[in-house]
Amino acid sequence: MKVGEHEIPEGLYYTKDHEWVKLEGNLARIGVTDYAQKQLGDVVYVELPEVDKVVKQATESKTKEMELGAVESIKAVSAIYSPLSGTVKETNQALQDRPELINTSPYEDGWVCVLEPSNLEAERESLLSSDAYAIFLKTLK
Amino acid sequence: MRYQQARWADDERLEPLVFELSKAKRTGYTLPPKAPSESNIPNKLIRAELELPELSEPEVVRHYTRLSQMNYGIDSGFYPLGSCTMKYNPKICEELAALETASSIHPYQDEDTVQGALELMYKLGQCLAEIAGVARVCLHPSAGAHGEFLGMLLTRAYHRSRGKERKEVIVPDSAHGTNFASAAMAGFDVVVVPSNSRGRVDLEALRKAVSKRTAALMLTNPNTLGLFEDEILKIAEVVHKVGGLLYYDGANLNGILGKTRPGDMGFDIVHFNLHKTFSTPHGGGGPGAGPIGVSRKLEKFLPVPVIEYNKKRRRYYLDYHRPQSIGKVKAFYGNFGVLVKAYAYILLMGTSGLQEVTETAVLNANYVMHKLRGVSGYELRFDASGPRKHEVVFSAEPIKRETGITARDIAKRLLDYGMHAPTYYFPPIVPEALMIEPTETEPKEELDRFVETLKVIADEARSDPEELRFAPTQTAVGRLDEVKASREPILSWRMYKRASKK
Amino acid sequence: MGHPYIPNTREIREQMLVEIGVASIDDLFSDIPEKIRLKKELKLPSQTSELEVKQDVQKMLARNKPFTQMLSFLGGGLWPHHIPAHVRSLVQRSEFLTSYTPYQAEVSQGMLQALFEYQSMICELTGMDISNASMYDWATAVGEAALMCARVTGRKKILVPELMSPERFSVLQNYALGPSLELVKIGYDWATGQIDLSQLRGKLGQDVACVYIENPSYLGFLETRGEEIADAAHKVGALFVVGVNPISLGLLKAPGDYGADIVVGEGQPLGNPISFGGPTLGIFACRDDTKLIRQIPGRLVGATTTLDEKTRGFTMVLQTREQHIRRERATSNICSNEALCAVAAAIYLASLGPRGLRELAETCAANASYAIKKLDTIDGLEAPIFASPHFNEFTLRCTQPKLTIKKFNAKLLKQGIQGGKPIEGEFPEFGETALLCTTELHRREDIDRLADVAAEAVGARK
Repeated sequence: MKVGEHEIPEGLYYTKDHEWVKLEGNLARIGVTDYAQKQLGDVVYVELPEVDKVVKQATESKTKEMELGAVESIKAVSAIYSPLSGTVKETNQALQDRPELINTSPYEDGWVCVLEPSNLEAERESLLSSDAYAIFLKTLK
Repeated sequence: MRYQQARWADDERLEPLVFELSKAKRTGYTLPPKAPSESNIPNKLIRAELELPELSEPEVVRHYTRLSQMNYGIDSGFYPLGSCTMKYNPKICEELAALETASSIHPYQDEDTVQGALELMYKLGQCLAEIAGVARVCLHPSAGAHGEFLGMLLTRAYHRSRGKERKEVIVPDSAHGTNFASAAMAGFDVVVVPSNSRGRVDLEALRKAVSKRTAALMLTNPNTLGLFEDEILKIAEVVHKVGGLLYYDGANLNGILGKTRPGDMGFDIVHFNLHKTFSTPHGGGGPGAGPIGVSRKLEKFLPVPVIEYNKKRRRYYLDYHRPQSIGKVKAFYGNFGVLVKAYAYILLMGTSGLQEVTETAVLNANYVMHKLRGVSGYELRFDASGPRKHEVVFSAEPIKRETGITARDIAKRLLDYGMHAPTYYFPPIVPEALMIEPTETEPKEELDRFVETLKVIADEARSDPEELRFAPTQTAVGRLDEVKASREPILSWRMYKRASKK
Repeated sequence: MGHPYIPNTREIREQMLVEIGVASIDDLFSDIPEKIRLKKELKLPSQTSELEVKQDVQKMLARNKPFTQMLSFLGGGLWPHHIPAHVRSLVQRSEFLTSYTPYQAEVSQGMLQALFEYQSMICELTGMDISNASMYDWATAVGEAALMCARVTGRKKILVPELMSPERFSVLQNYALGPSLELVKIGYDWATGQIDLSQLRGKLGQDVACVYIENPSYLGFLETRGEEIADAAHKVGALFVVGVNPISLGLLKAPGDYGADIVVGEGQPLGNPISFGGPTLGIFACRDDTKLIRQIPGRLVGATTTLDEKTRGFTMVLQTREQHIRRERATSNICSNEALCAVAAAIYLASLGPRGLRELAETCAANASYAIKKLDTIDGLEAPIFASPHFNEFTLRCTQPKLTIKKFNAKLLKQGIQGGKPIEGEFPEFGETALLCTTELHRREDIDRLADVAAEAVGARK
């Protein structure tokens, strides 16, 4: 579905910090949304997390343990906050040479990392469905 | 008035790089004979080759002269960068700093041979202390951010000396980026406090943000919106009540000289930018100077040495006997070459002159505000009817909504009319912000021309937005690929050669 | 009469007030609370004509004795060299002098290209791939290097030589406070002064972020085992930082060629006057490594093309490291730097070329060697106190009993000679010692005169 020009694929979960989550069996693939990449502009660099890093689900007030890394454009650096608590299992090395994948394919080739969630059942309640995220985006306008 | 910047161009580049002009065995240098002795440096420590360009003196001079023609300074035209105070730099100050008695003295010379320098710095410190209403000024920091860092170190030392470990520094959301960075560098956690609808620090939010963990509040007054923090006395009270210190960012001092003083507002640490308010030239990014003034209770922590005057012996000296000093933030004593210029500036203006500086700077900013308010496409957020001090922030959001043209496009187009762009996208709390500080050294005609040009550009945005997206067209180059520049950085001749081979 | 720097006279101001509907200037300041409004005038000197200011300041400065009018052997972190006249005339061009930071690349290609050339020449001198567009000085560059190494490695220990410049050490201590870095001093070999390798190896571990040495050292001797120090550091995953006097690199091997990861130093001798200690020019350069490049502090100028790809141009890059975008996550708080000093350095180096810089460095070293020979033969003096090769600075010890180095210098001063910097306060273990420096400013006759006066001062037979 779309809100204005922003793509919001169904079947994914979202956060108010503009990350998306795709549940794949007992793993979770994470990236940033179309809205986020448009806000940032051309991405020049992605700071990926280390494999085996343990992170906490992000709350309203942010701490370092909730950070999965950062996305840099010419005009801004945005931290990527983890939608779920868990351990980083895989990172998208393609982003090292081609950070622009986040702009061209934010939901597919531009995925950032794969997480093994540690508390999925409880935490998934606080994730937004694609509808809820769409409504949230409308309030930002 | 239109502008046409010089453009030295050659196929796919402008003026060649100095390396590209190099021809073997040319030189721009001569040397007297050396003493008859060879050093005992073993061969294995000696380098085999060094690749530096080889040019004769006329070629060096022509090359850098051409480069200077593809640059723009205050002497070229209007430069209304917000919070930068791009005022005219008096040339007599340059002459004085270049005197042999200023430039050819070494900081380790016997104190009896540098009494003039010590006196100048001592007196400059006194003048700045009087202007700011503080007890003592340290001239060591080389730049504003450097002074900020010192201010943060002094804050830390102060609380430590009272047995407290205070971890938080509060910064308003409209503050300059260095405030956040300097606090973080000194080991503090930054707590951001929002601005209210009047564009000032939200007092309620501040009351909630302070605690026993508060080391200091960093504030500039007038703030980055050009608005005077009229609740400053209450703000000071809130912070002092929990035992925190008040730090003043002096970037906007040009708005209040002779009218009020940060020390009187309750600030414990006052920072100055000599390259702003005190008119030392910006030099394309530096050198500047960022002195720090403190109240009595912080004097003992100041870096060494402190310049003192021995009344009996009528002699200035460097005092290193300060057991609670934080040490040093810079080797030696400060950017003396810059200090000479600032001191001369204060003498040239005097008490009445500095007052006139502020009155005119403030009038010029309010004049621009009044006239630009009448131009469709630009609007004032926050306190639209209140006076400003030395700068005003407009939002070009209406133009963006109407035409898609952004503050950035407008700023780039101003260059075609021979005016430097104002600061844009800052402060972040104003969308499509244009931060305008005309300063007192601009004539009314130039202010009128500026407003008229912004109107013309707004019209251009409506009639031919595509054209504007290509601005500037009158400068040596048009817009550059900044994305490519940051994605595949080429930062030196070596890297350039490597990249060219690919 | 109006002020020459304020074009809007009282009359024009009155006109402007009418135009904007404000009754008086005071109305624009009415939002300042009564309690803090200044009721009296500031106690400052009164407005003075340009002629009088010139005379007053000249008179004040005339109480200084320039080292160019004395015979001075002072160095110690700032070194006196001849600055070719055209360097000054070029940096005084107002398009450079009165410009701001080149954020608007299209109208600032001059400054940007000049800074790119500076960055490039520093890389050639130091053997690095990347240099920033300047820091405040050597001392703060060391501080920033330590912070960068800590960020890159995630470790907290910084190893430094015991004989490092005390002023630079003090600045480093302040930079280390924020992230609570631990500074560890490594001892030196008593005979050579050079860093004690076995002590260094003993202290190197998985908790060390970097090893820092100064080469030439603060006390003038050269560190001859740079490669071994680099190896030892790299073996434990620590970075190797070298601090330099760039003039020495006209002759000496580039730190990049013996394993340095980061090079810092003082760029003042490259075309900038000493000016009583500032403005100075901090050099900061590093290897091209993805881990390092995003952590480097300060402004960086990069090459690119116009959007239509037709023309080469220069622009500030990787600004997301900087404070104006990244704020508290910034790699440094530095904003204004020493840009114009960097341009002076570029012009200076372009004028000297590799041959000129080599000859200059050889002259500085030869003059020091000559001075050492002449002083060391004097009974009651010892030069240098370290059995190592030296560049252009060396230590001189007064072995004459009852003659302190301060008294020795006082005797020299009476004869119009400014001796070296006494270091007995900084390093009491070396006795009555001073640090002397020679450059191309010194002729053979000057050094002969120094030797004569020195011999007299210690009461020795020549």
